[in-house]
Amino acid sequence: MAATRPSSFCGSSDHTIDRRGFLGTIAAGASAFAADMTALEVLKTPAVAADLKNKGKRVILLWLAGGSSQLETWDPKPGAPTGGPFRSIPTSVPSVRISELMPRMAARMDRTCIIRSLNTKIGDHGGGARLMMQGRRDDPSVRYPDMGAVLAHELGRADSRVPDYVTFYSATEGRGMAPGTPGFLGERYAPMSLTTETVPANLRKLDTIEDIDHQQRAELRDLLSRRFERDRSLSGALGSHNVAYERVRGLMASESLFDIRREPQAVRDRYGPTQFGEQALVARRLIEAGVPFVRVARAWWDSHGQNFETHQEMVPELDHVMAILLDDLAERGLLQDTLVITLAEFGRTPEINPSLGRDHFASAWSATLSGAGVKGGAVYGKTDANGRSVVDGQVGPAELFATIYQALGIDHEKQYMVGSRPVPLTDAGTEPVTAVLA
Amino acid sequence: MSAPSAEKVKVVKQLARPEIVFAAARRKGTSLLYFGGSDFRVHAVDLGRDRPEARELGAHSSYVTGLAVAGGSLVSGGYDGRLNWWDLSSGSQIRSLEAHAKWIRRIAASPDGRLIASVADDMVCRLWDAETGALRSELRGHEEMTPHHFPSMLYACAFSEDGQHLATGDKVGRVNLWSVEDGCSVARLETPTFYTWDPVQRRHSIGGIRALAFSPDGSRLAIGGIGQIGNIDHLDSKPRIEVFDWRAGRRIGEAQGEGRGMVEHLVFHPRGEWLMGAGGYSDGLLLFCESDGTKALAQAKMPMYVHDMVLNDDLSGAVAVGHHKIAAVNWSA
Repeated sequence: MAATRPSSFCGSSDHTIDRRGFLGTIAAGASAFAADMTALEVLKTPAVAADLKNKGKRVILLWLAGGSSQLETWDPKPGAPTGGPFRSIPTSVPSVRISELMPRMAARMDRTCIIRSLNTKIGDHGGGARLMMQGRRDDPSVRYPDMGAVLAHELGRADSRVPDYVTFYSATEGRGMAPGTPGFLGERYAPMSLTTETVPANLRKLDTIEDIDHQQRAELRDLLSRRFERDRSLSGALGSHNVAYERVRGLMASESLFDIRREPQAVRDRYGPTQFGEQALVARRLIEAGVPFVRVARAWWDSHGQNFETHQEMVPELDHVMAILLDDLAERGLLQDTLVITLAEFGRTPEINPSLGRDHFASAWSATLSGAGVKGGAVYGKTDANGRSVVDGQVGPAELFATIYQALGIDHEKQYMVGSRPVPLTDAGTEPVTAVLA
Repeated sequence: MSAPSAEKVKVVKQLARPEIVFAAARRKGTSLLYFGGSDFRVHAVDLGRDRPEARELGAHSSYVTGLAVAGGSLVSGGYDGRLNWWDLSSGSQIRSLEAHAKWIRRIAASPDGRLIASVADDMVCRLWDAETGALRSELRGHEEMTPHHFPSMLYACAFSEDGQHLATGDKVGRVNLWSVEDGCSVARLETPTFYTWDPVQRRHSIGGIRALAFSPDGSRLAIGGIGQIGNIDHLDSKPRIEVFDWRAGRRIGEAQGEGRGMVEHLVFHPRGEWLMGAGGYSDGLLLFCESDGTKALAQAKMPMYVHDMVLNDDLSGAVAVGHHKIAAVNWSA
């Protein structure tokens, strides 16, 4: 499927839309929502228990764009010719060791499971990014939604007053390679995309409107709408319009969720001064408010030259931000219902090139799952002594996505109807990695 | 004698190596080369033999990145933060010290062989008594973090020929000059071109000062690395050398090589006839410049990315070490 660029609400000058256009898009999306839902007949109704189970589940995806090195993070090979200069360190889970660049996560390994045996085969950025955001290869006949859109659909609420899918991607490199794709789910599940700003500019009320004016206008509209409804038989169109309007108002009211100045300074200090840290804090605020899916992209890990210098900068930042995020979620009682994922389009070659870089490598790399529905401390799969191939427990994109869906209480075999075509969440025959599921 | 032309630079001997070789040292008047690299080991090899075979002296617990001969000892430094002393006669280890809390990037011996300088990512330069291993002084003047909240690195150090001064260079392009006698800072240079921070596309950094060398008279300091990089995924800029009148704090020359690459090692001709940088991108390079850095004179290819180099005693060539190879080159024929 050729990826299409969804409407997005980001503040970048590349695709800024004016406020009226923005609100119109939201309204259109909300109106289209009902139509989408009638078209997307769920063929295989999930069991009631499972349906209940996924209520309140949330996901934060830490997207390591450009491809972080598994050897410098989750699958170190110290002493091997391919191992690089970093040592491995013990973790809070006996027998599990990770890179010395991640001491904070080592102390929290009991909250995280590592899958060390991804073999995803696509080694170019664009193809790899789409594959790992969609869980399957493009299909020219179907516009597949990505993980965020599916989870927004599965975990979000129709009457939600907060965004369902928010994505942060501030660096420009690779931003267009995995932009967030609602596919056949429709624009209702397109991401709210933030690039250069932490707060979405288009959510802000116009400066020329006073708060009291804004409130009074909304109350007047409500009054007129109620009178209109009372005097006439209810129509689907009006109901849909009201839903859309309420959603827009909810989204506008959610502006404060993006404002980390509302957090105590001590909390902001914990996350640190980096953009990645600040965006992770916003992600926590969004999750806490009920946003089902937030992607925080940290770009750009594509270390063809000076791999070890690059990872010396970026892995400690990942270690810090991920550890604080897990702590914060746990302290707030959110971690048991929030799945934190680290994922990229691929990993990096075991071979070290002349520029002391590592190149693209999709044959044997790692991802992690922490929190909701997974066994903390579990390590699944194994690569060989030099990290060149998977020797045990190979996992492909479909198996990874099935595992994520199952961890969230979503039946990975569930099917949508796209026109007359049944489309399963994951390809037929896919099995989740049950060994990492709680 | 002028700088050799690129055509005159000939590779006369090559040894394939399983490891990446980061450091080399040679005892004057011998054909013995000591080298160390990504296999954590320190080796010796007699390049005067028809079929040289490397002999292992011992090992660190991480990459070996610095070697220097001082008196009757070889000193090695590594990413394990240790300095190891080896007896040149017997090849046995004399002592091993925990010298730094982070990676040792480079070591240098003073010209009289009495001191060893080590620089590491703890951003400290330490001076050691080469004979006893005693710590003589600690030189602190490089920031631990970059302006963008990432750990910085202290890559390079070099003694002046008279042994009175020492230069240290870090990732963000700061050079500190020190009085060896009392450990005081005597000058500071800023060379921001060597450091690229990409705030928009990729949001990390690359570069740094990778090589330093004093001119034979001690008045000039050459600084090597790579220029500003557009795409920091790669070493995507020209190899770069700047030369300073360091006492005046004035840059007197800058020279860039052709193509892409990083300068990892610098050496002045002992009579000041040229300044040479060695490094690479995918292949290696030798870049000869005017000794005041005002002009690049010639650039030759090397069979591998070069991390370190030692000149022949008669200045007829050099031995370079790097990516899975050791190569002897000659430019006097």
